Amino acid sequence: MRVAITGTPGTGKTTATELLEERLAEDDSLPDLEVVHLNRVLEDEGLYTEVDADRESKIADLDALADWLEDRDEAVIESHLAHHFDADRVAVLRCEPAALEERLLERGETEAKARENAESEALDVILSEAAEQHGLESIYEVDTTDREPEDVADALEAVVTGEREPSAGEVDFVGYLG
Amino acid sequence: MSQDDEKWGIAHVHASFNNTVMTVTDLTGAETIAKSSGGTAVKQNRDEASPYAAMQMAESVAEEVKAAGITGLHVRVRGPGGNLQKSPGPGAQATIRALARSGIEIGRIEDVTPIPHDGSRAPKGKGGY
Ligand SMILES: Nc1ncnc2c1ncn2[C@@H]1O[C@H](COP(=O)(O)OP(=O)(O)O)[C@@H](O)[C@H]1O
Ligand SMILES: [Mg+2]
Repeated sequence: MRVAITGTPGTGKTTATELLEERLAEDDSLPDLEVVHLNRVLEDEGLYTEVDADRESKIADLDALADWLEDRDEAVIESHLAHHFDADRVAVLRCEPAALEERLLERGETEAKARENAESEALDVILSEAAEQHGLESIYEVDTTDREPEDVADALEAVVTGEREPSAGEVDFVGYLG
Repeated sequence: MSQDDEKWGIAHVHASFNNTVMTVTDLTGAETIAKSSGGTAVKQNRDEASPYAAMQMAESVAEEVKAAGITGLHVRVRGPGGNLQKSPGPGAQATIRALARSGIEIGRIEDVTPIPHDGSRAPKGKGGY
């Protein structure tokens, strides 16, 4: 089984997935899944085509990443790009945009980066892409606003174990745009 | 209609997964002429509800805009618009069609959807936007 964990940068994917990773390693009752932090793979293997200079952001080589993922079928794939690849279940992490902007500024991102990601989150860009690519029956939306990382990891664990039903479109963040 | 009678504004359409909202401003973006209350989809019937709600929203905004003497609108669409469609989504498309049907001239249509990114991003056109 392949589980994608996606969401706008700042929704807490890496933080929650690292907690899930510890649980998968320690708890034998959980499925045996390799955790892939895809942004690290992109960096380490150089799997990008060019650089978006305005955004200081590498443009992912999705074909090369798909090839790299090819035989990794028993895996959890964490990245805001994860929904671009085959998956059985797709968890989409969400966060109220003003809170997301705060998180990104605290992480040291520029104001422009924090703002564009908050707007992306307000407009459900990643959720829409994920739903278009995988269908609503594979989407598991997880609102992380005002939730501790351990709580978010609980939700991800429930997606992995199949204890959770698919869901999407339960938050409405357009109010952020004024 | 002579050139002098034309007055243009900008319709800012925000089309998310299950909501479409629109604000009409003057050409500088500084003055708000009309603002929609939003075309929220009925959850159980998203496929039909979203474009329909967006259309109704646009019709009521169009009346306000015409009352303010605006004859034409440039459209700036932000957002995928949901409903498993390519950008601009049905909410945005329904909005633009409703504006045109109400007799408002439609000028440039621009897609200014933001791109989620950190150290990396998806290529344009992948994921559609
Ligand atoms: N549940 C949470 N609540 C509040 N802040 C969080 C939460 N999860 C992560 N953060 C913080 O928000 C920032 C972004 O988290 P990160 O895991 O890097 O997100 P992503 O991998 O989705 O970009 C980090 O500074 C992190 O410490
Ligand atoms: Mg991350």
